[in-house]
Amino acid sequence: MFVLAESNQLYVGDMLFYIVSFIILAALVWHFAWKPVTQMMQKRATKVANDIDTAAQKRADAEKLAKQRQDELAGSKQEATKIVADAKKTGEDQRNKIVEAAQADAANVKQQAAQDAEQARKDALQGAKNDVANLSVEIASKLIHKQLSADDQQALIDSYIEGLVKHES
Amino acid sequence: MGGNAYTFKLFGLTFNFTNMLSGLIVCVIVFAVMYGLSRHITMKPTGGQNVLEWLIEFTNGIVRAQFNQETSGFFSFFIFILFVFIFVANQFGLIFQMGWNGHELLRSPTADPVVTLTFSMTTILLSHFLGIAQRGFKNYFKGFVSPMPGMLPINLIEEFTNFITLGLRIFGNIYSGELLLKLIAGMAFSHGIATMIVSLPLEIAWQGFSVFIGAIQAYVFVTLTTVYISQKVVGE
Repeated sequence: MFVLAESNQLYVGDMLFYIVSFIILAALVWHFAWKPVTQMMQKRATKVANDIDTAAQKRADAEKLAKQRQDELAGSKQEATKIVADAKKTGEDQRNKIVEAAQADAANVKQQAAQDAEQARKDALQGAKNDVANLSVEIASKLIHKQLSADDQQALIDSYIEGLVKHES
Repeated sequence: MGGNAYTFKLFGLTFNFTNMLSGLIVCVIVFAVMYGLSRHITMKPTGGQNVLEWLIEFTNGIVRAQFNQETSGFFSFFIFILFVFIFVANQFGLIFQMGWNGHELLRSPTADPVVTLTFSMTTILLSHFLGIAQRGFKNYFKGFVSPMPGMLPINLIEEFTNFITLGLRIFGNIYSGELLLKLIAGMAFSHGIATMIVSLPLEIAWQGFSVFIGAIQAYVFVTLTTVYISQKVVGE
């Protein structure tokens, strides 16, 4: 079947063979390589686009949330400062109140003590006066009853004075 | 060197066995690589999927540079598979250069003008077809007489030269690269060890350069393909 070719003839059969084999090759490669790979590339492109959109969305959300947190934080800081200031003020007030109350108490006690002392002195004086009156009455009764001599008189007075002194001390 | 390949006739058509075998192997390699790279497709790309996606992005970039509007996935795929096939075909001859009984068995399919002109013809026909399908007959024919009716013969010639140059450019580059590789190899074995030592670095350098040329030519081929098709589809 094989014959040596004459030079430079047109191999029309080759043309046919190449066209047919090229079409078959193209069909096979299309089915096994091109279609799955390009489909996957398309899918990936879609996914990347989606991911970018989602990422932008997430980012916006996160920024919003962060801002919200920031605001809340600033608010709570202010609140904390207020609470501390309030507490300080309350403490101060309470301290002042306590000190005032203590001072008032102390003044009261002092006054009470002074009053008591006065009362005691008055009572004592009153007692002494009563004693003197009683003694005078006693002495008078004694004088009346006994008819005393001068010496007796003297002794009586002495005894009286002695008793007075004793009573005073 | 052009004629020393196996050919046979079938149904009145001439078949070149060398081209068929090489083309078939290139197809198998392309499919195996694509199949291997596209296993375990996941949302988070790893390994082979990364390579494949990079390649797809690369060819899609070529398409996007020419088409302003959104193009169908099918056209992007055509450019993608065309690029991969031509790239592998360009490199194929650098790795598997095989002959038997003085006849070539394996070489770059793109080192044959019939093969490259087949692809360029496909491209040009596709551009005309898509031009009519997208813009209608009226606008399609208007494209030949723009910017003025006097340009008609020039435009007609341009269609033909586009077809020829697109095919012959890649053929010339790949064919000459392989020819020079063969010549250096022949030189290496001509005068014993001395020429071998001289030829080795030359061969290595030219191999590397051919890989570069093969990649560039594949890129140029698909870029021009998109340009020609976009001219017809989008208008100039």
